[in-house]
Amino acid sequence: MIVNNNCLYCGACAGVCVADAIDVQELKIVIDEEKCTKCGLCVKTCPVAAIEME
Amino acid sequence: MDIDTDIVVVGAGPGGSLAAREAAKHGANVLLIDKKAEIGSPKRCAEGVSKSGLEELGINPDPRWIARKSTGVRLVSPDQTSVWLDEDTIDIPESGYVLERKVFDKHMAMDAARAGAKIMIRTRATAFERTDDGVIITAERMQEEVKIHAKIVIAADGPESRVGRWAGLDCNTKFNNMESCVQYEMAGLEMENNNVIQLYFGSVAPGGYTWIFPKGDDIANVGIGVLKTHTDKPAIEHLNEFIKNCPETQNAQAVEINMGGDPVGGLIKERVGDNILVVGDAAGFVNPLTGGGINSALESGAYAGIVAADAIDSGDYSAKNLQEYVKLTDENIGEGYDKYKKAKEYLLSLNDDELNDIAHEFVKQEVDEISPKTLLKLLIKVSPKALLKLGKLF
Repeated sequence: MIVNNNCLYCGACAGVCVADAIDVQELKIVIDEEKCTKCGLCVKTCPVAAIEME
Repeated sequence: MDIDTDIVVVGAGPGGSLAAREAAKHGANVLLIDKKAEIGSPKRCAEGVSKSGLEELGINPDPRWIARKSTGVRLVSPDQTSVWLDEDTIDIPESGYVLERKVFDKHMAMDAARAGAKIMIRTRATAFERTDDGVIITAERMQEEVKIHAKIVIAADGPESRVGRWAGLDCNTKFNNMESCVQYEMAGLEMENNNVIQLYFGSVAPGGYTWIFPKGDDIANVGIGVLKTHTDKPAIEHLNEFIKNCPETQNAQAVEINMGGDPVGGLIKERVGDNILVVGDAAGFVNPLTGGGINSALESGAYAGIVAADAIDSGDYSAKNLQEYVKLTDENIGEGYDKYKKAKEYLLSLNDDELNDIAHEFVKQEVDEISPKTLLKLLIKVSPKALLKLGKLF
């Protein structure tokens, strides 16, 4: 998963993440690739298309 | 560093701060932590709040955090038919004031501090573990690791709602209930009436609506919420399109952008566990119809703070003893939400033509006072399915 520069750390992605794999820090989003199931819900939910799947 | 406290509140939004204030007022030692450098910023919200809701909680309006008073609402259908309702005609939820959240949230945190709560900013919870008699919240305070030993944690960590999940509660938002929201604060709007909040419905915002909340003569929050089960486009594309086409916004300039997820699925069932209560957005305290959550976040925070402080007093932090919080919030908030949820489902079932028909019918009638009954009658006249979907509500 790649977080691009559109991101403003709002955390909408973390809210829908069923695997609790997204850590929203103050100016950084960290996605735990081991927990991530690549379901894509975060990609869809992001209001500004800031998450891309490789 | 190790810290001991009775209650740790994670997140200093309105719900967390009021929980901290009430718990401190009721005699508990309280620590309120927030990951941000500035409480209240950036906002993730349209800033509408109900006047009476604040009064009920003893929060006195302060001109420092009221950007503007709103006197009513304008509902706009897809063919641009406007239905104007003023506050004397209908009880509009989450309306009355448009806040300056950056000031309001800090004001609420300051109130918590004045009641005796300690506050740590730039302190981000990273882990939760249980001990024999409580919990340890591990947090990162700038570069330092802090271990907070508490008897009770109040999770007020917003739509991400991770603290509750760490404690084993099922409190993440289902994808089909998460409004994807984005908003600009803009200047240079040309509003027909800059004292009312405006809501635009239909395909302009699939699964939600577009809003204009005035904050000044030519200043407003212009935003959108969409359900991603209803559209493939990102929310921001829908919003940019709206701004380009709406005569009130097409010459306005953005000075700020905000975004966020808005959990509109109603209250989560598991909002307490042993040693934990979940408040605000983290527990789904958002009006399912309007998406507004400040009032109910505050109310949930107040109940949680009091129930938690009582539990500290009695020495029993079990889920069973915290159940009073669930009862209070079910009775005072949850029951109303069930109706709003039905109304929302009905709204989402209407296509652009049906929305237009309803707006035309509204305009035709001169309504002095709208009761749920007259509203239902009008809706049934236009679309009989209203009876099916809404009939049992009133």
